[in-house]
Amino acid sequence: MSERTGKQLSKEEKDARFEAELLPVLDPLYNFAYRLTLDEDDANDLVQETYLKAYRFFDYFEQGTNAKAWLFRILKNSFINEFRKKSKQPAKVDYSEVEGYYNSEDVEGESGVATTTDMRTESVQDLIGDEVASALNALPVDFRTVIILCDLEGFTYEEMAKILDIPIGTVRSRLHRARNSLKEKLEKYAKSMGYNSNEI
Amino acid sequence: MESKITEVYQNAPVEGKETECEKVSKLLDLVIDGEATSEDQQYFKHHIEDCVSCFESHQKQKLLKGLVCGHLKRVIVPESLALSIKAKIQKTL
Repeated sequence: MSERTGKQLSKEEKDARFEAELLPVLDPLYNFAYRLTLDEDDANDLVQETYLKAYRFFDYFEQGTNAKAWLFRILKNSFINEFRKKSKQPAKVDYSEVEGYYNSEDVEGESGVATTTDMRTESVQDLIGDEVASALNALPVDFRTVIILCDLEGFTYEEMAKILDIPIGTVRSRLHRARNSLKEKLEKYAKSMGYNSNEI
Repeated sequence: MESKITEVYQNAPVEGKETECEKVSKLLDLVIDGEATSEDQQYFKHHIEDCVSCFESHQKQKLLKGLVCGHLKRVIVPESLALSIKAKIQKTL
């Protein structure tokens, strides 16, 4: 890493910049890690690994660009590699994943959608939250991922395509199938609770 | 509750209407996710004003998205995590 040319920051400057630009993403990143691994310790490890990788490749990161998408991409690739390791296949670390990844688009693509349930009490809210979580956790990881990226984190299709390394068309079709699958699971639950499936 | 109007639409699809519904159903996710062009949005909006079944699909899909973004609890980041990341980074050259 030392032979890189260009403006050299002191370690203090680099660390300060790193913390200012990337640490604010910690909360969504940890949540993403948790939803992928479904385990707090694994999420913890995955997030640490992601930040260390990001630190090593921080020179490739253009200040002011989409830090959140960049970190999500590194985390998702680390997650895949971790799985390779666990399945005893050779763990090939692909560093090209973090090189040259720039996104000049705006940072947040929030498409705020209001929640439209009629249920008001706290406990019912909790119940719904738990049910949504278990329905989501029961989805295959690829489906879970697109729903989290889109609906929870508000990434645009274009950002998702970059994070996941797939064409936008694949993002769309995967999201569509993922939602159908989630809907099916929640409809079953709604029926078991005595609601008409049309209400969900 | 299934409304009577919906049944009428479902039982007697007009041929032209059906292709329009198909087009609208393909736009559904794009509209929900704020990815549709303004032209497509207009088309979509106009169609669901008249078509109860597409209107209902739209409501359902919106509700589904709302369930995820409004009801899924966020996990709380352990306090030690930021500190241990900072500590590791300081040791890294």
